[in-house]
Amino acid sequence: MHIYANPKRFLSLAQWLTPLLFWSGLVLSLGAIVWGIINVAPDRLMGESVRILFIHVPAAWLGMGGWAGIAISSAVLLIWKHPLASIAARAIALPGMTFTAICLATGSIWGRPTWGTWWVWDGRLTSMLVLLFLYAGYIALAQATAREGGSVKIAAIFGIVGAINIPIINRSVVWWNSLHQPPSITAGGSSIDASYLWPLLAAVIGFSLLFGGIVLMRMRALIAEQQVEARLRRRALDDDAPVAARPMAESA
Amino acid sequence: MKAKHQRLVLVILALVAIVAAGLIATWTLRNQANYFYLPEQMAAEPPAVGQAVRLGGMVQAGSITPQPDGITVKFVVTGNEASTVPVRYSGILPDLFVEGSGVVADGSLDADGVFQATNLLAKHDENYVPRELEGLEAHQPSDYADTTIGID
Amino acid sequence: MREALDHWDYVIAAYAIGLGALAILIAWSWQAMRRAEKRRDEVKRK
Repeated sequence: MHIYANPKRFLSLAQWLTPLLFWSGLVLSLGAIVWGIINVAPDRLMGESVRILFIHVPAAWLGMGGWAGIAISSAVLLIWKHPLASIAARAIALPGMTFTAICLATGSIWGRPTWGTWWVWDGRLTSMLVLLFLYAGYIALAQATAREGGSVKIAAIFGIVGAINIPIINRSVVWWNSLHQPPSITAGGSSIDASYLWPLLAAVIGFSLLFGGIVLMRMRALIAEQQVEARLRRRALDDDAPVAARPMAESA
Repeated sequence: MKAKHQRLVLVILALVAIVAAGLIATWTLRNQANYFYLPEQMAAEPPAVGQAVRLGGMVQAGSITPQPDGITVKFVVTGNEASTVPVRYSGILPDLFVEGSGVVADGSLDADGVFQATNLLAKHDENYVPRELEGLEAHQPSDYADTTIGID
Repeated sequence: MREALDHWDYVIAAYAIGLGALAILIAWSWQAMRRAEKRRDEVKRK
């Protein structure tokens, strides 16, 4: 856990973990979706549109889980100054935002035939939209600090402060009267029939694995970019100081 | 105290402060952020006649009565307590609008205490039950499907 | 009067949008990783 922690060990781990997470996640999530579209009985009230469940719920879970990941990475960065933490947080942001957007889009499409409206400004929908904007703000901030050479702490603080929205989203349907229904899965059990619950669980696990694979891909890209930058900078320094020039072989 | 521990304490303190601030803010928002009024809330603090509000609750079993003009329905919304609000609505009904299920209505109270709805939204509950199993459930909203056929 | 919508249209639309966005995300992340690691290996070799 040193500030100059060598990413080599992480890279050798990511080398085989990336395809493993990606392919297992893809197979599991697509399998669950196909099962959910073909093999599940229509709901007593919602009818066929209940099938949207198998993409809407995993997307919501990963949208919120993604920000939890950003917040945890940010805390690790601020406390232990671990260099991988800021890379992890940056790598999570875009997949998290995409899943939040998928959650909002599929929820909107689901709302039209069931509730009778595409969108309402109730607590759940509004707080989820706020999460989307938080992701956009985080990405812009992280990119600006990376490009302008600012401190990575700025984005990390934003990541921690933004985490307050996560429990608000979770509790919004309990605290306030909302059009969105209360949680189906609570500590006390589930009010989802087993024939929906099992494929839903498979979809959640599958999409989570896929999410992990995508995050690893993005982390590897960020690490590679940093390595290139560091190498070019070192080379430029060597060129600028011919007096103290050492043999090129040493820097290669 | 090592610098690392100092940072740890600082971050934890900051987190606690943020969570507390968020909780206080949402607690004070408790009533303002409600999307609709329950019947008992409307009975306790009745809105002015003609004031645009939202009413939400359950459609009372057996209360949907189609009117002779074909597009108007009357029904009764119940909440968690005894108070109920009669509603009158003309227009297209959402597919999930059935007796014993949730509803959210835009509109206003008229002088007679009847809620004149301009728009209806169906509110689904947290139960997901396949159609074949509905008879096994304790309460079966689509048992009332027969009564909704009349207003199709 | 009932709306009587065909729910299948909405199911198909939801999955088309959701899986489409996911496919773009995956393709982009994969390509970014490939390109960045390739460039690193090139710079390393020089």
